[in-house]
Amino acid sequence: MSAERIALVVTGLTALTPSIREVVLAPIDGGSLPSYAPGSHLVLDVPVGDGRERALANAYSLTGETVEPTEYRISVLRCDPADGAAGGSAWVHTLAVGDKVEALPPRNLFAPVRHATKHLLVGAGIGITPLLSHLRSHVRWDADVELLHVCREGEGAHVDEVVALTGGAATVVHDRATFAALLAERVRDQPLGTHLYTCGPTGFMDLVHLEAAAAGWPAERVHAEAFGAADLDPGAPFTVGVAGEEIEVPSGVSLLEALEEAGHEVPNLCRQGVCGECRVPVASGSTPVLHRDLYLTDEDKAANDCLMACVSRALPTDDRPAHLEVTL
Amino acid sequence: MSTPAPPHYTSVPPWTREPVVESPDATGTAFTVLAVGTGSDATGAAAIVDAWLPTLPVGAPVQVHTSEDVAGAIAAMRTDLAGARVGHRVLVAGSATDCLAVRAAALGSSLMDSELTVGVTSVATRAVWCVHCSATTIAEAGLEDVVTCPSCRKDLVVYPHVSRRTGAHLGFQVDAETLPAGVTA
Repeated sequence: MSAERIALVVTGLTALTPSIREVVLAPIDGGSLPSYAPGSHLVLDVPVGDGRERALANAYSLTGETVEPTEYRISVLRCDPADGAAGGSAWVHTLAVGDKVEALPPRNLFAPVRHATKHLLVGAGIGITPLLSHLRSHVRWDADVELLHVCREGEGAHVDEVVALTGGAATVVHDRATFAALLAERVRDQPLGTHLYTCGPTGFMDLVHLEAAAAGWPAERVHAEAFGAADLDPGAPFTVGVAGEEIEVPSGVSLLEALEEAGHEVPNLCRQGVCGECRVPVASGSTPVLHRDLYLTDEDKAANDCLMACVSRALPTDDRPAHLEVTL
Repeated sequence: MSTPAPPHYTSVPPWTREPVVESPDATGTAFTVLAVGTGSDATGAAAIVDAWLPTLPVGAPVQVHTSEDVAGAIAAMRTDLAGARVGHRVLVAGSATDCLAVRAAALGSSLMDSELTVGVTSVATRAVWCVHCSATTIAEAGLEDVVTCPSCRKDLVVYPHVSRRTGAHLGFQVDAETLPAGVTA
């Protein structure tokens, strides 16, 4: 990883809801932090410990001031390790004021399209966070904006703030059926030139993509910020050849983990198929790749010449067991 | 004339090299269909539009406009797009030069490339914008041919770059690099 880490200290903690905590982070040595475009996220280093066998790098959307900020603000939903979560968000919920943390500078895969004539923001639950920074920017630049949001009663972090910012152009609902009807109606009545931005659980964003496509939206007008690949099955075992050596990748272990355990260094960041850091070239002699990431384009995937080592695997063919030849 | 290869990474659309007729995008919910040109372009455009119309989704609103000149086609399209919703598509049939001009106007009305379908009847002419005097001329020329700017009389090479904003090719003095010292292009 090339980017220089930023040393930060926790300066504020607020419980926005019983399960969502806002964390305020300031530079350890004072001054201002790098500016960022709306929709950016911060990648926090989560150390080993408390049941976490590996260090994690968790991405959280930045919700605060974007220009020469003196602090970074994130809002983190606690996902329970008892339910299978990796434990990064649970660690964030143990932080105390004064704790030191490290992060990579903000990165952006979800910036607003500035020439759009209108911005339609569609969020669910904690997916409000990147939309909040979009909204602040649109209010500052006087851009036309409308927001649709669905969240559980009592779990509506940032909702009051969002409603105040839009001055009435926000609709917040609390059940899926009402939301689906609202979405179907609103995507059919947006001026030409509108771009749509969505963030929420994978199933929710699938619904948004489907409704937009059904209403004639080309994919280029629809932008999504993914939390991570949907819950993936452990996958079938396969083998990988690297520099003349053959490594077993058992079920439940990723190619990235197998390569690391064999002593190979692979640049990586999110370890969940989103960031694109762990792209590994695939050489001839490989069986087809089972792509499970959210990063590569359809053309990239069809070429079968690379894969994201953190989530993707090999598929067997009729006459050959699943095997990849990779170059690092 | 010479055609540079491989062509696909320049700003020159492939349909200005060969008269390509694209298939309409049937996922649209409303359509503006333009037939532009005179003579053989008009005949060709009418045939393309006749082939397109039955492929559009049943029940979707369709406006067909036939114009001899591209200004008329652009004016009709702008009227349609003024109150249009996302889901609208524009289909244009005519010469590559007219299709480029319609594309420029469509992008200016917030349409995206994926919302535009072209049916090209001929690729004989190109609009060339002179970098020296800013005049635009339409000439029978291929890429990298030389045309004379009717405004400043300089000999312009038709450079393989098309402006998305205007639909014209970049033209500059063909011997600008080899002029004697002291002579400006």
